[in-house]
Amino acid sequence: MNQKFKLITSIGLAAGLAFSASAKVDPDLPNYEPVSGVSGNLNSIGSDTLNNMMTLWAEGFQAIYPNVNIQIEGKGSSTAPPALIEGTSQLGPMSRAMKSKEVDAFEKEFGYKPTQVGVAIDALAVFLNKDNPTESLTLEQVDSMFSSTFKRGGTPIARWGQLGVTGSLADRPISLYGRNSASGTYGFFKKVALEGGDFSPRVKEQPGSSAVVQGVASDISGAGYSGIGYKTSGVKAVQLNEVEPTAENCINGDYPLARTLYVYVNKEPNQDLDKLTYEFLRYVLSKQGQEVVAKDGYYPLPAPVSAQILKSIQ
Amino acid sequence: MSTKEIRPKGENFVWFTGMGLALGLLMVFALLAVIFVNGITVFWPKEIVEVRLKEGSDAEIQGAEAFAGYISIDRHVNDIRPGKVEQKRELQFFVGNKDVYGFMYKFVDYDQIESMGPTPGIIELERLEYGDAIGYPVSLTLKDGTKISVGDENFEKEFEEFFKAAQDRRKEIRHLEKKVIGRINHKMTQLQVKKRTLERKHGDEAAQAMSSYIKYDDEIAELQVDYDKLAAEAKALRQEQHDIQFTYRLATGQEQSLPMGELTGYYYPDRLGFFGKITFFVSHLWDFVSENPREANTEGGIFPAIFGTFVMTLLMSIAVMPFGVLAAIYLREYAKQGAFVRAIRIAINNLAGVPSIVYGVFGLGFFVYVLGGTIDDLFFSSRLPTPTFGTGGILWAALTLALMTVPVVVVATEEALSAVPRGMREASLACGASKWQTIQRIVIPAAAPGMLTGLVLAMARGAGEVAPLMLVGVVKLAPALPIDGIFPYVHLERKFMHLGFHIYDLGFQSPDSEAAKPMVFATTLLLIVLVVLLNLSAIIIRNKLKKRYKVGAF
Repeated sequence: MNQKFKLITSIGLAAGLAFSASAKVDPDLPNYEPVSGVSGNLNSIGSDTLNNMMTLWAEGFQAIYPNVNIQIEGKGSSTAPPALIEGTSQLGPMSRAMKSKEVDAFEKEFGYKPTQVGVAIDALAVFLNKDNPTESLTLEQVDSMFSSTFKRGGTPIARWGQLGVTGSLADRPISLYGRNSASGTYGFFKKVALEGGDFSPRVKEQPGSSAVVQGVASDISGAGYSGIGYKTSGVKAVQLNEVEPTAENCINGDYPLARTLYVYVNKEPNQDLDKLTYEFLRYVLSKQGQEVVAKDGYYPLPAPVSAQILKSIQ
Repeated sequence: MSTKEIRPKGENFVWFTGMGLALGLLMVFALLAVIFVNGITVFWPKEIVEVRLKEGSDAEIQGAEAFAGYISIDRHVNDIRPGKVEQKRELQFFVGNKDVYGFMYKFVDYDQIESMGPTPGIIELERLEYGDAIGYPVSLTLKDGTKISVGDENFEKEFEEFFKAAQDRRKEIRHLEKKVIGRINHKMTQLQVKKRTLERKHGDEAAQAMSSYIKYDDEIAELQVDYDKLAAEAKALRQEQHDIQFTYRLATGQEQSLPMGELTGYYYPDRLGFFGKITFFVSHLWDFVSENPREANTEGGIFPAIFGTFVMTLLMSIAVMPFGVLAAIYLREYAKQGAFVRAIRIAINNLAGVPSIVYGVFGLGFFVYVLGGTIDDLFFSSRLPTPTFGTGGILWAALTLALMTVPVVVVATEEALSAVPRGMREASLACGASKWQTIQRIVIPAAAPGMLTGLVLAMARGAGEVAPLMLVGVVKLAPALPIDGIFPYVHLERKFMHLGFHIYDLGFQSPDSEAAKPMVFATTLLLIVLVVLLNLSAIIIRNKLKKRYKVGAF
């Protein structure tokens, strides 16, 4: 678990905030009050998990500032650092924290580290077909299904019968769906669920999170992982270590595959961010911005965390 | 006589070729039919049913045993429950009301359903956010708190009037925000850039003392006053959009209310006659091609994508034609035909076989980073670090595709040039024309139809290409069009939306893949229509040219 997330966890606990399962937006979040003189172009290049949320934020932001242009590209978290370094984008949405290699490359170019802004909480869910009777998996079972290295110490699981499924599904091989390696979801799942091990070659790599869900929805023996926001009527998200992927469980740290979603920006220390970028991030961290998070199926930040993050970019 | 003797030798192979053609046509038509049927039915109104579940069913929505929606999938699947061998029938319903339920689609096993019945008086509401809502109308609450309930005889008339007023207000808001405020914002940005240019040139303090700098500041302050006034106006209008609330009851029992300003359309599904359905179909089709996308592209229309594809293809044609034609003329007419020219020709043919993504990588490295970066350093340095040309844009995309399609044009033009009869050239030369005059007046006009064939092929390939575009300027959302009413009118540096990429995005990266699926088919259909239209217009021009030069071609 990364540092920022621990922070969220501790503050979330300290504030003693109660969250319902349906991801309610914290009423204490500040309303976004428009300021004048905001216009120009914003470019965003990065995560595909955050792609839709960025689009929705852009739509909301443009309703407030009619003449702001926001252009969004989302092909995977790994595309964010090079774009920030090349200066082709001001916003680098990433579904994982930057690797030290990426931070170094950035520092080499500018002499300071990129600024990390947590914008939402995501539960990485393991999806099964809606007709699959399995309700809960342990992380060890997940590792045994998806990896080829079995770092959690399990033995290979290739058929549904090995997970206690009876009936005609028991003999069927588990059909695995995952993301391609440019994706932050891929990296996070590999690091946390597989403990850094390698994926089994049987995992079918998909070009987008939505493709993973569609694959599982149309394949009765399918299993796949992607952000909880992509859930459709054809799949179900199972419990991991008997914990439901709810907002509450993510914030208090019980759900093992919870993560923070970030937007990275290029901010010189002791200097203000340019007005447009700052106002956009302020919007994202406001009540309106976090309502968008809930609408897209992810979990909004608690108010104290949002306030602290906002302070860090002022 | 036996049949063997009647049939000439090789007759079987004629049938064989016929079969090949039939098979090809069958596949093409099947594919087109699938896209057409799926794409066109998106806009046809659906019949909404009220579903009652059997007691104790686990398919209930928030505890209610009834819900309303239309059937989106009806299929048989393998039943994997222990002890079952036959297939089971399952239905997928579109239930809408995502704000309440948290989902829009729901699978229900057929054996869980008690009954499916009609829904008299139900209304489907098309909203700005959260997709459609389905419910029974209850009442309208006006600003002063008076209620008009559904029992009142003029309820529907009032409802329609309020709806129309809200629509007009939305148009006004859009005009105010996009056009009027947009222009002010643009002017302010220009002034800011001018200020920064001065700061860079003379240093912060010296610049601030300059008279022109102070003048810019004054102008900005003036614009700011205008902006504040207009922004307040727009805000007041937005506020008015929430004055009237419409209350409706869901089939699952909850009562919900919606501000009239959030409504983009509504209809009573059980009351639509045949003509009502036609009107519904036409208006929704029109909305789809003429509106901006909403809700991360799963709602609204695809106008920016159509426009982006069109402009990009046009720019590409403008770039590819001169280069391709000039290269071909030199190769065919002037170059000394030998091993070297043959090698070049082979190289060009091979270029046509290079994977398109390689062109994308080249475009990113050369056009965007090298050319674009240099342009930014030279002309737009006051805007840095925000890149202007140093990031993907419609110009770079068009040039990359032009590079990719140049071989097609070169090959087609060369063929056309070589087909011009030798007699025509000789006659021209014999009349005393120089070689260039002959080429210009005789050869090129005669070869023009063939060159245009090359352009048609290039456009078809260019408009359908997606992979290289993803690297050089296509984006998921770019609401500002590459051509608009703000000086300099054509904005070649802007990123753009493209139908092909839109299909990829909806299909693989959409947040709600079920809601996006119908949009994928509709968008595919439109892309095909657009390519056909572009090709048709080129073919029509070509045929006109052919007729014109037929007389001259002896």
